[in-house]
Amino acid sequence: MKTWQKLKKNPSLWQQYFIRERVLRAIRLFFENQGFHEVETPILILHPPAESYVEVFETTILDRYRKKTHAYLSTSPEVPLKKLLVAGIGNCFSITKSFRNTEMQSNIHNPEFTMIEWYRIGVPYTEIMKDCEDLLLFIHTYLLRTREASDQQATKDLIYQGAHIDLSKPWERFTVSEVFLKWANVSFEEFLNFDTAKKIATKKGYRVEKDTSWEELYNQVFLNEIESHLGRGKPTILYEFPSSLAALAKTKAADPRVAERFEFYIEGLELGDCYSELTDWKEQEKRFGEELKAIKKSGGTTYEYDKDFIVALQSGLPECSGIAVGVDRLVMLFADTAKIQDTLLFPVEELL
Amino acid sequence: MGSITTAQFKKGIFIEFRGEPNLMTDMTFVNPGKGSAFVRTKLKSLTSGKVIEFTFKSGESATELDVITREMQFLYKEGDAYVFMDNTSFEQYNIRETLLSDFVKYLRSNDTYQVLVLHDEAVGVRFPKKVWLKVTESSEGIKGNSSAGATKTVETETGAIVTVPLFIKEGDTIGIDPETGSYLERG
Repeated sequence: MKTWQKLKKNPSLWQQYFIRERVLRAIRLFFENQGFHEVETPILILHPPAESYVEVFETTILDRYRKKTHAYLSTSPEVPLKKLLVAGIGNCFSITKSFRNTEMQSNIHNPEFTMIEWYRIGVPYTEIMKDCEDLLLFIHTYLLRTREASDQQATKDLIYQGAHIDLSKPWERFTVSEVFLKWANVSFEEFLNFDTAKKIATKKGYRVEKDTSWEELYNQVFLNEIESHLGRGKPTILYEFPSSLAALAKTKAADPRVAERFEFYIEGLELGDCYSELTDWKEQEKRFGEELKAIKKSGGTTYEYDKDFIVALQSGLPECSGIAVGVDRLVMLFADTAKIQDTLLFPVEELL
Repeated sequence: MGSITTAQFKKGIFIEFRGEPNLMTDMTFVNPGKGSAFVRTKLKSLTSGKVIEFTFKSGESATELDVITREMQFLYKEGDAYVFMDNTSFEQYNIRETLLSDFVKYLRSNDTYQVLVLHDEAVGVRFPKKVWLKVTESSEGIKGNSSAGATKTVETETGAIVTVPLFIKEGDTIGIDPETGSYLERG
């Protein structure tokens, strides 16, 4: 049965889908109150930000004489927003559809999804941590305030899949190194060495093959032993990621092996990903080159990186920090659904 | 028995994991931020009945176990075993309660089920997408819920408690998804 049919049959289901409009209103109000500009960024683009782990959707632009230009659907609003930051827009955000091919058959991904991305000028990423705390509290309060009379049982606590979540500040903060030690009993210092990481993974019973990468080992330990512990009862901010997993982030001055990147989790669900933005155009061009090489090697869709973005960085991206938060996952959280599909009126599975 | 990769993984297959036969009860892909694709599974050990979660690298291989399906009639429950009889050989097989998990709530005596057999041991039941059961008890109590509208709970002839719309009455036959335990339609 399609979602529209389920809704026709059981009108009480609408409530779960109407959470989305209220979450979106709350987000817009939160940023409006702080003087942010909301901008629209293009979905149809010529140069996706080079990221080797993201597969793109391809399309074609035809001119009046049907001359073809290769185009893609945007995977994130990051590059156009940064161009606007260079142009001087100041604090800003975009709520936009983003597209990532192959990301199906999953309770937490839909290949077409909604993202909110915001940037603050002149601040390190620790300020965005505070934004996340404030934003989630704001949405929760807004939802309570605007709830319908029939929702009498809604309580002050946020309840997700049976667990009470305390959103109050400050949230729990752990570095990647700390969680590796705490839950996987692994010294991250040692794990950063690829050969040692292979030994540790093998000993833990993971399969290490010739073409297994360090990133795969890192994520397999993280996903199997750590992720589900994060954000239990209270959101967790996980910060200081290995630099190799943060292509667009600044590295930490005191320790270049880690990058100023954080993610936040609630009940094991990752909701947002933030960096202190890389402002060095040379470093950015180098990293794009490396990512494109990796895409070629893995057989993914190849494209050229956005030279206009490098030109923009050359003219000076102000110091800033930004974050992308999955709106569908926020809706999952506040609508208390286990699957992202249950927040979408037209999930991709119903099209295929 | 054969080697498969994560591309062939799906709910309901049996694989060998760390030397033990396991039923894959759930499977979903995950893409961590800035990471490659992984396949998160829930595996139920046929030896201990315990369920663990394990995340495979996308493309990783595993050994699939040959499980055959036989039509058997459910006879009765004895201790923590559910006794079935093969419709052709009339041989009896026991399935432990832990391997049936929530499905036990929908088993009706004398009905025929698709029983899964591994190395001549019954290890589970392949349930249909929908089971039809009679409502034997219906409370009139209305349960207000923050996300759903007015519903109530009823009990079926097999003892399963199901949340249904208010118009369902005692004596109705209702369709239930045994996977999720949710009400689907009135018969």
